[in-house]
Amino acid sequence: MWVVYTLNGLYFAALLFLTSLGLNIILGVMGILNLAHGSLYAIGAFMAAWTVIQIVAKAPPFVLYLSLLSGLVLAGIVGFLMEKSFIRAMYKRTLEYQLLLTFGALLLLEDVIKMIWGGQAYYASAPFDLLGNVDILGHVYPTYFLFVMLITLLAGLFVWFFMGRTKLGIMLRAISLDREMATGLGLDIGRLSTFAFVLGSGLAGLAGALVVPTTPALLGIGMEPLILAFIVVVVGGLGSLKGALVGALLVGFTRSFGIAILPEIELPLLFLIAGIILVVKPQGLFGR
Amino acid sequence: MVYVLIFIVLLFVPRLLSIHDLMLFEYGLTFAIVGLGFNLLLGYTGLLSFGHGAYFAAGAYTVGMIAKYLPEAYRLEILIPAALLFSLILAVIFGFLCVRHTKIFFSILALSLSMLLYALLFKLYHLTGGSDGLRIPLPSLLGISFKGIRRPEFLSGTYYYVLLVLFAFSCVIMKGIVSSPFGKALQAIRDNEVRAELIGIRVRRYRLYAFCISGMFVGLGGALWTFVNGHVTADLSHWVFSGEIVYMTLLGGFGIFEGPIIGAILFTYLKLYAMGNTQYWMFVIGATLIVLVMLLPNGVAGAFVSLFAKLKRRKAAEGSAC
Amino acid sequence: MSKHISRRNFLKYMGATAVSVGALGGGKALGQAKKSIPTTPIKIAAVSFLTGAAAAPFGIPGENTFKMCADEINKGGGILGRKIELVSKDEAGGVDAQVKLARKLILEDKVDVDLGYISSASCLAVLPLADESGGLIVAYDCGTHELMEGTKSPYEVPKFKLGFRSSAHLGIDNIGLALFIKKYYPNIKKIAGINQDYAWGRDSWLIFETAMKKLMPQVQVVKTLWPPLGNTDFTAHISALMGAEPDIVHSSLWGGDAVTFSKQALGMGFFKKIKMAYSRGEPYPQEVGKDYPEEQIICCAGTHYFLFTPPDKTSAGLQKWFVEEYRKRYGKYPSYPCYHAYQAIYAYKNAVEKAAKTAGGWPSIDDIAKAMTGLTFPSPSGPITIREDHNAIEDVLIGISKLTPKYPFPILDPKRMEIFPAAQVNAPVGMRTVDWINSWK
Repeated sequence: MWVVYTLNGLYFAALLFLTSLGLNIILGVMGILNLAHGSLYAIGAFMAAWTVIQIVAKAPPFVLYLSLLSGLVLAGIVGFLMEKSFIRAMYKRTLEYQLLLTFGALLLLEDVIKMIWGGQAYYASAPFDLLGNVDILGHVYPTYFLFVMLITLLAGLFVWFFMGRTKLGIMLRAISLDREMATGLGLDIGRLSTFAFVLGSGLAGLAGALVVPTTPALLGIGMEPLILAFIVVVVGGLGSLKGALVGALLVGFTRSFGIAILPEIELPLLFLIAGIILVVKPQGLFGR
Repeated sequence: MVYVLIFIVLLFVPRLLSIHDLMLFEYGLTFAIVGLGFNLLLGYTGLLSFGHGAYFAAGAYTVGMIAKYLPEAYRLEILIPAALLFSLILAVIFGFLCVRHTKIFFSILALSLSMLLYALLFKLYHLTGGSDGLRIPLPSLLGISFKGIRRPEFLSGTYYYVLLVLFAFSCVIMKGIVSSPFGKALQAIRDNEVRAELIGIRVRRYRLYAFCISGMFVGLGGALWTFVNGHVTADLSHWVFSGEIVYMTLLGGFGIFEGPIIGAILFTYLKLYAMGNTQYWMFVIGATLIVLVMLLPNGVAGAFVSLFAKLKRRKAAEGSAC
Repeated sequence: MSKHISRRNFLKYMGATAVSVGALGGGKALGQAKKSIPTTPIKIAAVSFLTGAAAAPFGIPGENTFKMCADEINKGGGILGRKIELVSKDEAGGVDAQVKLARKLILEDKVDVDLGYISSASCLAVLPLADESGGLIVAYDCGTHELMEGTKSPYEVPKFKLGFRSSAHLGIDNIGLALFIKKYYPNIKKIAGINQDYAWGRDSWLIFETAMKKLMPQVQVVKTLWPPLGNTDFTAHISALMGAEPDIVHSSLWGGDAVTFSKQALGMGFFKKIKMAYSRGEPYPQEVGKDYPEEQIICCAGTHYFLFTPPDKTSAGLQKWFVEEYRKRYGKYPSYPCYHAYQAIYAYKNAVEKAAKTAGGWPSIDDIAKAMTGLTFPSPSGPITIREDHNAIEDVLIGISKLTPKYPFPILDPKRMEIFPAAQVNAPVGMRTVDWINSWK
């Protein structure tokens, strides 16, 4: 059973990591805590589910998996629109305004999702079913979860490579370290910020898209991921990729084994970990 | 002056409004107290907390828990000080952790801590009623029991005056605080932390004081709110509820003393009428917030003040032109 | 006085009597002008979750049904000739918003009745407003047994003069499951529970566990899990349950969580050795479809099942109409929240009609409330009775899922369905459910 507990921990950690990645990037590069992060996750989920439902009868399996990316794309587009329309206007203002704007965006987007997709549930289980199960040391484990872990790994590697090795990424990191200096060096803050916001939004959408084969897209689906992403950011440290990874693994494994051994503690456990970190090392494990 | 006149007018409000409107107004008054407290931290000290629902919940649950476990002590004269005490205690603990940081860290910490309280209130359901919450019966006041009368009668009678007096007190005390040297120091910290430290202001300590005072006001508002609502749930500590507190303060304008009061009353009506008239009320509230931030960053009161100032300047200019 | 009453005097006396009787009768109707029935429409507020996680499984089906029933009643001429004007409101926004909204509906909008409320928190906060504000409120779907129960047995009834619940509470589901398990699986040794970590989940498990302890004391509880509401990853829970090796697992999971759990569990081989017993599981075979596992124990929150035909002819006719009409309008078979919604609006209609018989003219709120107390009326699930404690009691239907060629999702196996009568699953008036279970021999 311990094999399965470990796999479960890895799966949940993967979800946490991917969900918090977008939030962390926007926070790190732009210093904005995007409260609408959960809404972008939800948009990704609804879009992916809807797309899969439309094409499931006619498309070959490969296209089906590709169609999940539609969630990433739409979330990115919405992020772009958000940034251009009102987030942008607030750079000169203070933090309060930015937080309030993203809060307003959250409320707005919740209803926009309802206007577009209505109140019913969207089930898109084909990608989950098609992959079937594998047998791991005598235990049945759905292959789809391994797929999610793979995609998350790829996404993480992409971001790591991008931030560390590409010119664009380095510019983004420069902005996150010292905005004024970066402007002084001639970086186009506006364009770069938009890019960061779109990247973060797209990642949120991807996280949402990946879960819909196992859980229906429903109104309010983004609320819990927002809180979880938040916890990981707090535990791992703002703006730190390594921190996000370690934080996600820590929370994921603690939860998985915690449920098996001491089920009562489940929800408060996550907050407890966050609370301890906040007291002991308030900037998070790897935060600045 | 003007405020005394306003107070006198408010004394007559129960005769002017219907019971329903009066109850709505009372919600507004309790949130006005909350707003005043919250704005000490936001407007005057420059710290934005998306977690002040925790103190509201502290005050509210103090009332609820006493109702449940200590019914003999269920008297307004005990409940109000108790609510102040518990919200103070919570504000000291959470505040101590939060004021070590500023800006985004502060906001994140405040949010996280309030969610921790939310999780506890939700989870310990045998104690707190969990998601079901706690019922708030009518309290007694200085020996007078209100058993047998219905809540609307209670609210439109004695309770209104109690609330009004406490609201007036809150205004007076808060005005005193912001006008005092302490209040000025807070503004100095808000405007330039480094300089404030250099001229000898103990930044962290003052922030903590501001945090605690604001927590107490919010807790008082929470406690007073419980009698109007009749029921408390863990949602009060959820960050979305805290977000509403921020919204109200912004709506009225956090640069002006009276801003949060106006914002609180406006928001109460805004939300109710949005919910009463459309199923897309969240869109309405969200869009209003965005428009507000972009166009009226000083809030409704701030916009009035600017308009008034502009008119005054124009008159003065015209006057001097003659 | 003269023994001979002149004709004139006689008429005078008769006239006086008639006038005074009339005045008394008018006075009895609490000052309301008890004249002919007004022709203005009746305003009915229907409050359900139109946003959030509870919208898709309960709120929207509920709202759909309210609309469907209002249209049907209006087609038949309305209630006592008055058409219904249905106002739909969202139950979201938190308890503070719901209290304000209910007050607005009753005091300002002056609705004739406020139907609704799915979440127990809403019910607990809003129902007291009925007496406070003088408006009629009928809760239609919330499950908490605590709503009408007092703090200890026996308790005074009714708790609210003008507040009612037109469906039975979660007691029937969980007691019913325990009775069913005892009958069909008498030899099991171990049970477990997975319920959402809030009042609903906790209360459901409490009643189930209490009943099981009484009925099958030899059975051991090997694990209880408490996932948070809105959890999307049940893998850890599924593994933990499989590790504990229970025979049957109790669950009150609903909505997206129920579907997610089912899918993920299927993928992990959970159902090979373990059965689930769902306390309000009736909607999920239709939601999940072909993949929904067979041999699961499912309770219908009453006898609310699209394939169930009630024994009495009136109700059977209603069921036929109900299923067909709902399917025609909304493309799905109705689930239990739909039946609950029917019960609420028809409880009101039947109460008004009953009250009108004695009141003459349009009855007052107090008359309607009196008529609703002790009311029995037909419904697509059979006759429903609202007792003197203002709570409805119902029989409960429990079955086992089975795939058949006729439907694209498992239905309840007609050969292994049980209906437990109301008296067996509802605590008697004035007695707390838990106390009642503990008093069984």
